[in-house]
Amino acid sequence: MLTWIAGFILLIVKLGIVLGCMLFLAAYLVWAERKLLARLQVRYGPNRAGKFGLLQPIADSIKMITKEDIVPEAADRIIFLVAPAVVATTALLMFAVVPFGSSLKIWGREIPLVISDLNVGLLYVFALSSLGVYGVALGGWASNSKFALLGGIRGAAQMISYELSLGLSLIPIVMLAQSFSLVDIVQAQANYPFIFVQPISFAIFFISAVAESKRIPFDLPEAENELGAGFHMEYSGMRFGLFFIGEYVHIQVLGALAAVFFLGGWRGPWLPPPVWLLLKIILVALVMIWIRGTLPRLRYDQLMELGWKVLVPAALINIVITGAFILI
Amino acid sequence: MNTDKNESPMTQILADLKALAIGFATTFKHLFQKPFTEEYPEYKRPLPARSRARIILTRDPDGGERCVACYLCSAVCPVSCISMQSAEQADGRRYAPWFRINFGRCIYCGLCEEACPTAAIQLTPDFEMCKQDILALVYEKEDLLVDHGGKDKQYNFYQYAGVVTDVGEKGTHIKEEKPVNIRSNLP
Amino acid sequence: MPKLIIDNQEIDVQPGTKVIDAAEQLGIMIPRFCYHPALGSVGACRVCAVKFLQGPFKGVQMSCMIDAKDGMVVSTTDEEAVDFRKYVIEWLMLHHPHDCPVCDEGGHCLLQDMTVAGGHGLRRYQGKKRTHHDQHLGPLVQHEMNRCIQCYRCSRFYQKFSGYRDLGVLQIGERVYFGRYQAGTLESPFSGNLIDICPTGVYTDKPSRFIGRRWDYERTPSLCINCSLGCHTVVSTRYREIVRQEARFSEAVNGHFICDRGRYGFFYASQEKRPRYAQINGNEVSWEKSIQTARDQLNRISQESGPGAVASVGSVRSSLETQAALSRLCQKKGWQGPVYWIDHGQEMNVKTAAAELADELAVSLRDVEQADYILAVGADPVNEAPMLVLALRQAQRMGAKVCFLDPRPIGLPFSFQHISVAPQAMDLILAHLLKETIDQDTIKGLEPHEKKIFDAIPNNSHLVSSNQKLLNAVANDIRLSQRLVIVCGTDVVSETIPERAAYFARLLAKMGKQVGLFYLLPGANAFGAALLSDDAPTFGRILDEIEAGLVRALVLVENDPYGYYPDRPRLERVLQQLDLLLVMDYLDVRTIQDADVFLPTLTLYEAGGFFVNQEGRIQKASIAYQGGHPISQFSNGNHPPRSFRNQIPGKEAQPAWQALIELANENSATPKQGVRADILAWLVKTHPLFSKLPPDNAFPSDGIRINPGKDIHFRSAADRLVVPTLASESADQMELITVDWTFGTEELSTRSPHLRKMESKPCVFMHSNDAAQLDISEGDKVAVRSDTGIVSIHVTITDNMAPGVLIIPRHQRLDWQHLGASKITVSKDQIRKIREEEPC
Repeated sequence: MLTWIAGFILLIVKLGIVLGCMLFLAAYLVWAERKLLARLQVRYGPNRAGKFGLLQPIADSIKMITKEDIVPEAADRIIFLVAPAVVATTALLMFAVVPFGSSLKIWGREIPLVISDLNVGLLYVFALSSLGVYGVALGGWASNSKFALLGGIRGAAQMISYELSLGLSLIPIVMLAQSFSLVDIVQAQANYPFIFVQPISFAIFFISAVAESKRIPFDLPEAENELGAGFHMEYSGMRFGLFFIGEYVHIQVLGALAAVFFLGGWRGPWLPPPVWLLLKIILVALVMIWIRGTLPRLRYDQLMELGWKVLVPAALINIVITGAFILI
Repeated sequence: MNTDKNESPMTQILADLKALAIGFATTFKHLFQKPFTEEYPEYKRPLPARSRARIILTRDPDGGERCVACYLCSAVCPVSCISMQSAEQADGRRYAPWFRINFGRCIYCGLCEEACPTAAIQLTPDFEMCKQDILALVYEKEDLLVDHGGKDKQYNFYQYAGVVTDVGEKGTHIKEEKPVNIRSNLP
Repeated sequence: MPKLIIDNQEIDVQPGTKVIDAAEQLGIMIPRFCYHPALGSVGACRVCAVKFLQGPFKGVQMSCMIDAKDGMVVSTTDEEAVDFRKYVIEWLMLHHPHDCPVCDEGGHCLLQDMTVAGGHGLRRYQGKKRTHHDQHLGPLVQHEMNRCIQCYRCSRFYQKFSGYRDLGVLQIGERVYFGRYQAGTLESPFSGNLIDICPTGVYTDKPSRFIGRRWDYERTPSLCINCSLGCHTVVSTRYREIVRQEARFSEAVNGHFICDRGRYGFFYASQEKRPRYAQINGNEVSWEKSIQTARDQLNRISQESGPGAVASVGSVRSSLETQAALSRLCQKKGWQGPVYWIDHGQEMNVKTAAAELADELAVSLRDVEQADYILAVGADPVNEAPMLVLALRQAQRMGAKVCFLDPRPIGLPFSFQHISVAPQAMDLILAHLLKETIDQDTIKGLEPHEKKIFDAIPNNSHLVSSNQKLLNAVANDIRLSQRLVIVCGTDVVSETIPERAAYFARLLAKMGKQVGLFYLLPGANAFGAALLSDDAPTFGRILDEIEAGLVRALVLVENDPYGYYPDRPRLERVLQQLDLLLVMDYLDVRTIQDADVFLPTLTLYEAGGFFVNQEGRIQKASIAYQGGHPISQFSNGNHPPRSFRNQIPGKEAQPAWQALIELANENSATPKQGVRADILAWLVKTHPLFSKLPPDNAFPSDGIRINPGKDIHFRSAADRLVVPTLASESADQMELITVDWTFGTEELSTRSPHLRKMESKPCVFMHSNDAAQLDISEGDKVAVRSDTGIVSIHVTITDNMAPGVLIIPRHQRLDWQHLGASKITVSKDQIRKIREEEPC
């Protein structure tokens, strides 16, 4: 009984810490993105709220919370209200299986530094990331606006196309680690990170992940110069904020997954494991920002061509080659 | 995708990758450049005289109001933000007893300035006129009228118009003959 | 029917149609400055040039000068013609000043339009411009000669069309000048039309000078209710205020023009003094409270003294809807009324006019233009119905002769015959004329009782013998004419005359002539009142009953007895005796001061409505604006208020019919919608005459004519025809009549500040013989004493009026109401010359 209560408390504490870190990071990721993007474009970026604009995320969140939450007259009210929560929640839930260190020993108790070590962690990640698109598609549909609907449809189509290559790119990792558990996959990289043996897999995974998070150059669902703001066009206030948080949490999750699958997870010399994971997440996020600052948006046909004609075949070939190597 | 059919797929892919690399290198280099941004409230860039912002009503060189309340600006205004009333002054001039521009609506397109036949209404570079109260953006004539000629200091409409005002009787304006004497048949 | 081709479209036109009109029928508007359908062609401006490709003419020709002929092929877009028109515009613009921004014509200027359309954007002429001095042409028309393009429309309208001579062409060549020899107010009461027809800004509207632009005005088709003709107008509204009124083309009524009284008579609608709030005993209260109080009081008086103790008075200037609502109210409550007529004479005259206008006799104003002989009996067109002058002038231009049988000094801008006899002798003269004119065959065909009257007409009166030569000439002319119109007034004539005029017309028709009958009535909707007044007592009777204590409450609906009742002291006294005086009006009438309850109503510009003109033509006025204080008054001429309001200030007034229906209902919850439709439905039900009233959205522009004939509630026609008699004349007695003037007497137009400047000083007209007898000379001030009071007034001596008659205008600046009942005789010792300083 006591163990159970202690375990519960521990879980709550872990959840609290992880959630706090993630939301904090999401907020400052926005700041970092704006700042870095500005620098990539030879601008200053936010520099008014606090030194270097460091208080900008706080100002933004105050603004979002205090803004009027408008629900369009013709919208499907309940779905409209729930959709942003779906996006944010699924993104947060994905982090549950990401290990951020080996286990810790406190007062004789073994504390695993992961919220939940599922043995099918990888499938769980895919399941949630597929669920996340419901928020986008439903939000776009419930708005009862043609632009939002187009954005939602694009989001769904893009997800279906890239989920496939995302999944296929990770089959070799599973084959190497011989486990679906993310903890085991990190353990399997004790000697070397998988990026060295699976560079093609990493490339496919990374491209697909960027597409999954609907970021430039794959931001067709929002495409502001075609669709206004796409699926979240009719949203305002904190509901829009939830979409926003969802997107940035998604970036972190993808950074964490990239770290777990290819960059050795929390492993690294000298620094404590969570810090290593954090650094790797930030590194991936920075690269994604760099991509955003450099590449233009794809056309819709280019997006589909890249997904179906390049990434999926490449991933399949990669599986075959990996399988062959393992057999040999 | 590059579709140059003469090149082999491999060279094509390499070329594409190179292009990508150049792009990334360019943006990366920008990180270390000094930003071009002019920081607005601290540094105010001098605007060209013909910039289009706050509207004024100017005066002719003699100090008279140029506006003759002909309604052309209010007619041409695409957002209908100009309204006025015209009337006759004791000296024969047509003028506007009241003249109102709703800057809350104005889109600073400058069509009023183009339509103005007397160079009275002009746009100035002063754009810092944001207000908390939207009604404070409704400018009346006393807010609009200035005591200079704006961009065109010399023009005086009544020297050309040929109507009798304090500027001159019939036949005294620019390029006018003396009035016809209807009681004489002499040429 | 010539058939010609214009711009590849074929069209059949009437012979004599100009090519420019043929093109207009096809929807092709050829530019024009000098051409005007009412004024004809002169070919002065050269801008209607088109190219004739085939047919009797070839090359570039003026389309306004050439009649459409068979086989013509015309191109308006031929390069040569377009080029020609472009250069015409450029030379017309040579001397045109650079003053469009300060010109009131800007925005609806034909020259401006054509300059832009012709593509002439930059002046190539570098020389000096010809200039002209302007003239002061009075308070209505502003002159700016620099802008003239010498189209001659103004002088053609002023001299040729309307017949006045004081504005015309001076000088030659490029120095041509249109104006008066001496600056001064234009004499013509049609001067405002100069503004409409001038294709540019030489003549502009002075009352609306520098007020706004055409594109900012809401323009609504409306009617003129300043006399009984019902001319068509279009009103321009801006900022809750009528700014300007112009003529609206009407095929049947006024053609292209209107008179100045109509054009500038609208200012009462936005008068600063106009009452806009309901009042009880002079204190402003809400509309609902006023209605409630009035209803309670009226019900109480009805209960105490019977419904006959309440009398209601309607108005000949109210719309048909208001008159119908009043009839319905009286019918429902059993009150006396609606009362419309001052005395028996007026009632008889108007009802006879309405009853006699049979379909085959009634003619419209435009039909009068087609006549070849016009006999006007007791009508003074310039003063009573100015637009009739223009119609008579058109007939006269075509060769018609015009004869007036009237005691007044008729002034017309063309020559006419004038038989001037005293009002009481007019019937005799008319009957004599009838006897002289009718041929033997027609006399044989008469009914016995008619023949008896016919034989009894005396022809040995000294009046006849003194006018014998003129009467013979007139009778001869009538016999020779083919298309006659008999114009008959209803104001100064005795009550037998309208009937005799109609009888005259019927007999002439029997002689095989085409005859028209044209009455003038005392108000814009007097015809409607005649149809709806049934057998209600006259206003004089009501006053008697009030004095006798039989009537205790009076409802005045848009009716101001102070304006027309000829015995003011009595009126004041009698109104004081009332227990309740309920006044509804949109004018600042004197009765509001006496009223116990006052309800503000709406003008025709705010409420719209039907009006029946003097030929029985029902016409519709649209709603021009929503009413309320004009912004210029509300903001004291300054900029409009900077705050928002939910309601238009001063918009409490309702249409009079609404008030009457609310009075008729027992509770206050009368809906504001559908009331008008209910009234019209009631009207159709109770008066089948109106059953052919078309729906609002399909109402024809020229209205529809109804001819009640025998339907009107009236005595039979046979009783009305009597032997003309002449009261014994005494050389010592003078007959005094009060008359209308063009400006200064009509109650709506006298509220126009601009027409007030046009008014001439009130004066009494006197024949030179009478003046010599009394030793009075022109300009003397005399005191005329009657049984009820004294009026002191200057004398104008003239020869073209009946001797033995004093003519006094019902001028607003004259207390003529002190003279007593409307038709009185004064003996010559009651007229006394007074010195200027002597108080009277």
